Amino acid sequence: MQIFQIRYRNTQGTLMRILNGASRRGLDITSVHAEECGNDYQVTLTLNVNPKQVGQLYREWYAIADVIHVGAGSPQASEWAGPHPPAGVCIESRTAARA
Amino acid sequence: MHKGAEIVLQCLRAEGVELMFGYPGGAIMPLYDALEGSGIRHVLTRHEQGAVFAAEGYARVTGNVGVAIATSGPGATNLVTGIADAKMDSVPLVCITGQVRSALIGSDAFQETDVFGVTLSLTKWSRLVRTIDEIPEAIAEGFHWARSGRPGPVVIDIPTDMLKAKKEFSGPVKFTPHARPADAKADGGFSDTIVAMLRQAARPVALVGAGAKLSGAIPELRRLLDDLNVPTFATVHGLGAVPPQAPYYLGMVGMHGTRAANMALHETDLLLVFGARLDDRVTGDPSRFAPGAKIVHFEIDPAQLDRVRPCELPVIGNLADTIPAFHAELRRHPLPDFSRWRAVACGPERAELDPRGLAQPTIRFLDELFSRLPEDNVILADVGQHQMWSAQRYRSASPRGFITSGGLGAMGFALPAAVGVQLAKPNTCVLCVSGDGGFQMNIQELATVHRLGLPIKMVIIDNKYLGMVRQWQQLFYERNYAETDLSDNPDFVDIAKAYKIHSWRLKEDAMREFPVSSETGDLIDRFLSSPEPELLVFDCAPEANVFPMVPAGAALSEMLLEEEPTQ
Repeated sequence: MQIFQIRYRNTQGTLMRILNGASRRGLDITSVHAEECGNDYQVTLTLNVNPKQVGQLYREWYAIADVIHVGAGSPQASEWAGPHPPAGVCIESRTAARA
Repeated sequence: MHKGAEIVLQCLRAEGVELMFGYPGGAIMPLYDALEGSGIRHVLTRHEQGAVFAAEGYARVTGNVGVAIATSGPGATNLVTGIADAKMDSVPLVCITGQVRSALIGSDAFQETDVFGVTLSLTKWSRLVRTIDEIPEAIAEGFHWARSGRPGPVVIDIPTDMLKAKKEFSGPVKFTPHARPADAKADGGFSDTIVAMLRQAARPVALVGAGAKLSGAIPELRRLLDDLNVPTFATVHGLGAVPPQAPYYLGMVGMHGTRAANMALHETDLLLVFGARLDDRVTGDPSRFAPGAKIVHFEIDPAQLDRVRPCELPVIGNLADTIPAFHAELRRHPLPDFSRWRAVACGPERAELDPRGLAQPTIRFLDELFSRLPEDNVILADVGQHQMWSAQRYRSASPRGFITSGGLGAMGFALPAAVGVQLAKPNTCVLCVSGDGGFQMNIQELATVHRLGLPIKMVIIDNKYLGMVRQWQQLFYERNYAETDLSDNPDFVDIAKAYKIHSWRLKEDAMREFPVSSETGDLIDRFLSSPEPELLVFDCAPEANVFPMVPAGAALSEMLLEEEPTQ
C-alpha cells in the first residue's frame, strides 16, 4: 500500500485528473482526503500499486497542469523524493542497476 | 459593450487563429452569429468529427493550434474521438463547445452533456466557463497548454448565456503559468554520459519519433545523425525526419516496420530514442524489447518515460536544446568504429522488404503514385492496411509530409484531416489514402471538399473488407472473417459523382505489369495534376496482407515475412 500526497491548485478538474491517474489503471483507491493546504490544496491517496505504477503515477500526476508537487508517504517510494519529475535523477544508479 | 461571443472571437484572433472548423447548433449559435467580421474564417464540415479531424490536419501540417467548434450535447460528444486522437499524437488543439444555459447545467436539459467530465481524461486542460469575465483568461490559458511542452488538446465549454451576455472588454489577456518547483531537466552531464555509453557500445542505434518534428529540431537532428552514423529508424510519426536516402536509415520500425529496422532494434546494445513514446506498436513484447540494450531517452514529457520499459538515461527537455548540447559534446570525442555493425544492420540482406510483399499490386500502385507526386506534397493515410503500406513505401524527407492517426488509430481520420491540410497548404498536392471501411466513416466530408473546391487527391484502396482486421482474423483467428466483409460496398465512383467530384477506378491488374503501361501512368498523372478534387478507387485483392508483421505479444525479431509460417 502506498500513500501519495499531491499538492495542487484547486482549479476545475485538477483533483479529478489526479484521481483518474489511479482509476484509469484500475487501481482501487483505498482512501482519499483532500483539503486546503496553505495557498494550495493537498490530496492524500492510499493506493495498492506496484513499483512500475509508482513511477508512472508520479510522472503522470506531475504532468497535470495545476499539480505543484507529488510526494510519497512510504519508504518504498523514497527513490522518487528528488526533484520533479523524478526520472531525471539517479542516472548513475539506474545505469548501474541495469548494467 | 461586447457580447461574450465577440470576446471569444477577439481572443481567438489574438492567439493567431485565422481558420477554424465547426458545425453550428443551439447552444453555440451566438458564436456563429458573431462570426461575420471577426477576421476568422470558419469552415463548415458535415459532422463534428469532421471538424475536429480537419482542425487536427491543419495543426499537424502547420504546427499551429487547430480550432474546432461544436454545440452542446451530441455536437460536443462527436468531438471526443478527435480529442483523444490529438492527445495520443501530441496535436495542439482547442475545442470550443457551447453548453446549455448556466441555470440549466446539471438538470439534464435538452442537448446537455457534461463535456467537461467526458473529456477530462483526454485533455491536457479544460475549463467550463462560469462567467463572461472568465472568457479571456480561459482562452489564453487554453492556448498556452495546447501549444506548450508536449502539445495536446484543450476543451473550453461555454454556456450559451455567457456567449450572449455583454460586458466592457478591454482586450485579450496574456496567460502566465503559475510557478512550480524547478522541473528536473537534463543537466550538462548527460552529454558526457551518453558519449561514455557510446564508447562502450558495440551495436548502437537511433530511433526517431514525432517529438523530433514537434521540437523543430530536424536540422539539428539530421546533423547529429550524420555524425553518429549508426543504424537509424523511425516510428510512423517520425517518418520524414530522416532523409530516406541516408545510408544509415532503415525505415519504419515496429509492428509493420522493415525487417532491417526491427532486427537492428532487437540486437542493439545502446538505443538512443529521440522523441518517441515507445508504445506497444513500436516495442512488441515489452519484456523482450531491445533485450540487450541500454536506453537513452530524449523526451520533453516526463510522463512518457519508463511507460513500457525503463530507460537507463532519461534526457528530459526540448530536443531543440538537448540535441545540440549532446552533439557539441559528441564532436569533442572520436567515436569507436561502428562500421562492422553498420554493415550487418544496413546490409543488403536486410535492406528490403520481402520480395513477395514488393510484388503486391497495391504496393506497386502506391510506389507509382508516390513517385509521380510533385515535390511539394503531403500524404495522409487513414487507418488500416493501406496506412501501413503507405508508411512502408513513404520516401520523402519532408518532416510534416506524412500525416496519419498513429496513436489512436481512428478510422475516418484522413479525409477530413486532408481538408485541414489543403486549406493550410493551398498550393501543395495533398494525397489522401483511405481504405473502403475508413472512407465511409467520414464520407460526408466529400461535401466539404466539393463546397470548397479543394483539389485533394483522394484514393480508396478498396479490398471490400476491413482489411487489417481481416488479416488478423486470417492469421490468428483461423480465417473466421467475422463481420469484416464489406463486399456490399456502394460504388464509390457513383458516390463521388453524387457529390460532384470526378472519380476514376483502377483495377489492380493494371499494376501487374512492370513498369506500368503508359495508359496507367497517364491516368495517374492526370489524377495527380488535376486542379479539381479527384477520387481514385483502386480495386485491391481482397486478401492482400501487410508484411512484415510482428504479431501482437511477439518480440520484434519474431516478425512474419509472409503468411505461410502460420498455416
